[in-house]
Amino acid sequence: MKFDDQKIRNIGISAHIDSGKTTLSERILFYTKRIHAIHDVKGKDGVGATMDSMALEKERGITIASAATYCEWKGYEINVIDTPGHVDFTIEVERSMRVLDGAILVLCSVGGVQSQSITVDQQMKRYKVPSIAFINKCDRTGANPFRVIEQLRAKLGHNAVAMQIPIGLETNLQGVVDLVAMKAVYFDGDSGENVRTEEIPAELLADAQAKREKLIDAASLFSDELTEAILEEKEIDPEMLYAAIRKGTLKREITPVFMGSAYKNKGVQPMLDGVTCLLPAPSDVENIALDMDRDEQPVVLSTDPSKPIVSLAFKLEDGQYGQLTYIRVYEGTIAKGSTIVNVRNGRKVKVGRVVRMHADQMEDVEELKAGYIGALFGIECASGDTFVSPGVNMTMTSMYVPAPVISLAIVPKDNKAQMAMAKALNRFTKEDPTFKTHVDPETNETIIEGMGELHLDIYVERMKREYSAEVTTGNPRVAYRETITQRADFNYTHRKQTGGAGQYGRIAGYIEPVTDAEFVFENQIFGGAIPTQYIPACEKGFKESMAKGPKLEFPITGVKVVIDDGAAHAVDSSDMAFQAAARGAFREAYLRAKPVVHEPIMKVVVETPTEFQGSVMGLINQRRGIIIGTQDEGLQCVVEAQVPLAEMFGYSTVLRSATQGKAQFTMEFAMYRQVPQSVAEKIALEASQKKTSVA
Amino acid sequence: MATGVAFWRERNVIHLVCEEINMIKNEIIARNPLINLGYGNEYILNDGGLGAVLAHAGVGKTALLVQVALHAMTHEQPVLHVSLNDAVSKVDIWYRELFHDIAGKYDSADMRGFWERTLVYRFIMTFKVEGFSAPRLEERLTDLMQQNIFKPHTVIIDGLRFDESGRGLLMELKEMAARYAMRIWFTVHTHRHEPPQKDGIPLSFRHVADLFDVLVELKAHGPQIDIKPIKGQSADAKKDAIQLDPTTMLIKG
Ligand SMILES: Nc1nc2c(ncn2[C@@H]2O[C@H](COP(=O)(O)OP(=O)(O)O)[C@@H](O)[C@H]2O)c(=O)[nH]1
Repeated sequence: MKFDDQKIRNIGISAHIDSGKTTLSERILFYTKRIHAIHDVKGKDGVGATMDSMALEKERGITIASAATYCEWKGYEINVIDTPGHVDFTIEVERSMRVLDGAILVLCSVGGVQSQSITVDQQMKRYKVPSIAFINKCDRTGANPFRVIEQLRAKLGHNAVAMQIPIGLETNLQGVVDLVAMKAVYFDGDSGENVRTEEIPAELLADAQAKREKLIDAASLFSDELTEAILEEKEIDPEMLYAAIRKGTLKREITPVFMGSAYKNKGVQPMLDGVTCLLPAPSDVENIALDMDRDEQPVVLSTDPSKPIVSLAFKLEDGQYGQLTYIRVYEGTIAKGSTIVNVRNGRKVKVGRVVRMHADQMEDVEELKAGYIGALFGIECASGDTFVSPGVNMTMTSMYVPAPVISLAIVPKDNKAQMAMAKALNRFTKEDPTFKTHVDPETNETIIEGMGELHLDIYVERMKREYSAEVTTGNPRVAYRETITQRADFNYTHRKQTGGAGQYGRIAGYIEPVTDAEFVFENQIFGGAIPTQYIPACEKGFKESMAKGPKLEFPITGVKVVIDDGAAHAVDSSDMAFQAAARGAFREAYLRAKPVVHEPIMKVVVETPTEFQGSVMGLINQRRGIIIGTQDEGLQCVVEAQVPLAEMFGYSTVLRSATQGKAQFTMEFAMYRQVPQSVAEKIALEASQKKTSVA
Repeated sequence: MATGVAFWRERNVIHLVCEEINMIKNEIIARNPLINLGYGNEYILNDGGLGAVLAHAGVGKTALLVQVALHAMTHEQPVLHVSLNDAVSKVDIWYRELFHDIAGKYDSADMRGFWERTLVYRFIMTFKVEGFSAPRLEERLTDLMQQNIFKPHTVIIDGLRFDESGRGLLMELKEMAARYAMRIWFTVHTHRHEPPQKDGIPLSFRHVADLFDVLVELKAHGPQIDIKPIKGQSADAKKDAIQLDPTTMLIKG
């Protein structure tokens, strides 16, 4: 039994900051009756009260707070998925792109396509997300939607075609002409909620006809039926036209363009019609899972609710109702009482409450079928985890695993503990890819690594409780890294003449910093100064050098190596000789490239009663933290900061005593950042002490 | 096999970092329309001074003030950004996007470092409109100053409603600015239906206009935005409006 998902839309709204994404989202929720009023406020002077009642400033507090908000439009079920506003958060962006099937690209009618619209658009391209465009702010002076359409074509390479033309522009914006129905559309009532259709004003008719021609022309490429109708000069049926445009949209070969003003309540409803008529239903897009039993081979999912479950937890939220896990179901049906398995660790869980989030409330539902988005309660997992029916072994994401930021030496009490510990570690590393373990070759100690102090504490505790492995722990160590800050050249000859065969290799080139990669190797040798067969050996030699800095012995990242000259010897050169030459060359250049130490920085969010705000900020400040901001919420307040992990040890105890236990905090890895000079000196000292104690 | 002649030129190691950062600082000044309107003082306002940017909804008031903030921050002058509209994360995005717009063409590793060093000169506070008052702000400020965490040179208050908040609040804020040797910038949302006044000061703002040292207006003009000084310009300054990029409020670069 095939279930019909044609009336489901999972969409994102993507926009350059300030183009009106928030305003548009609010209007969507209003027209779909999820928000019940756009506040009614009279202007002080009594003039133009209607217009003022719409002022966005009056509506604050009713924003889309959740990762996915559900609403209904003319029988369609729409999930609006919150896409991160900025391109920095790559993992988050990736996840939100995975769960949406289509998008609205919002542009400002004056500003047009800006540099950030370009970045946002590239993401959509990468994830092949079909989209429609909405040109907002047509009420602004200087509004020119057709220039923006030109920019969409020229700057973004979209085959953008107008679905509408505006009736009036700037302060005179009255409505839009629908080029499919060939009707004028106006928006009456205090909040534009009453859509009125009329004949097209005479003075716009010629333009409307010309633009309609263009639209039909563009659409005809996707429909033989339409082409035929054009040739036979038949009346063009709106259904047929929509179907053709939709086909092009789904292939990303057409971008239908709507226009209006969210702020002035014009044009939002026709755009919603566009979402339902033109953007894909879940089964219209291809979703791919990776089969873990067959070497992560891609498998196309079917959106069939009767199949076993495949679903993705894309966002976790600690809300007033406890931990919520937002989930998208790709295959099968998740219902109350279903058993699902977390593919990452093999843990089975029984589904308790299943809900759907609305703008300001949530609704219990019985089940989520394939194609649906909703949220589950009481599921322990990480964002990005795949949940499946028992027996299925597929994952939605080839798992991104961040490198550990902290390590700890553990020593078993006795032989028995040693065995138990080994067993426990084996199990844990399987369950949790962010938890790692190895034996330090110098000290022979077992080292465990993870994403934070608490993370490691939990595993040490579990070792004791579940495996009776008594261990003592050393001091936690921060995973520092080294990187270089400037370019440095090298020209190094490795030569050894001992008895029989000698060793010879010379490498020249330079190293320089790169920001978005750990290691880049580039061969710019032309003319065979180093024979090509030795190039891989050179690369290997450089890469090996990255494992440990020569002085502080932290792993090195962010280096680009370029070789552009060298020399070989017919008899004495070998892979080994060139590897050695590369290591020598790296050593030679590294210190001159001004290496620095980077440390993990955590994003720390503290929620505290306002009375303790001062001391909370003081505590962060003492810990080399940068406070990004504070959010005053009346009795409570939220402090957001970036603090070096090295300074966070013991923070929970200190925070508790400073706030009578009334504050809570969360912490997650944010980025690596260069340590200040004074701290770098301290780290260097510790490193040299460690070296001498080992030696 | 080898080329025979050893081909090797000693290359100069290039120290671009400082130079690039100076170029950015200069660009932030060169493209800042307020600075280029000819307001004598480098920071436009003196200690204790109040300034305001007037514009209709959606015409980039915030972008303009974020520019003012970036200018101060890159000169190591701390900026407190108070927002009554947006969440901390959104305010943060404003800064990053604008910085990116200006610095995007420079080397990204250096820029990231520079940005992180600059970030310590910014502090964002958000309040709910109803929860905002001068004593409340002062309480927060003293929290920061007493512990030597942050002492603002410039304060930006975005989203205050002038037609509703009376003169009292502004007087309190002005006194505070003087007490702590800060300058405060405001965004003022003006309404389209208000008839234009001869001196450029809208009626809904008139009751407090005298408290301000500098007033400028942003006006959309076709695809351009003009910035027009209304008050506080020195006598010899040029009186022409400057044209801006409609999204960033930067002088077209
Ligand atoms: N004139 C005009 N202003 C708008 C429109 N939509 C949003 N705005 C204004 O533009 C600014 C930014 O809007 P917002 O929705 O917060 O943008 P976001 O940054 O994309 O979420 C606010 O001042 C809005 O009042 C519109 O259609 N016309």
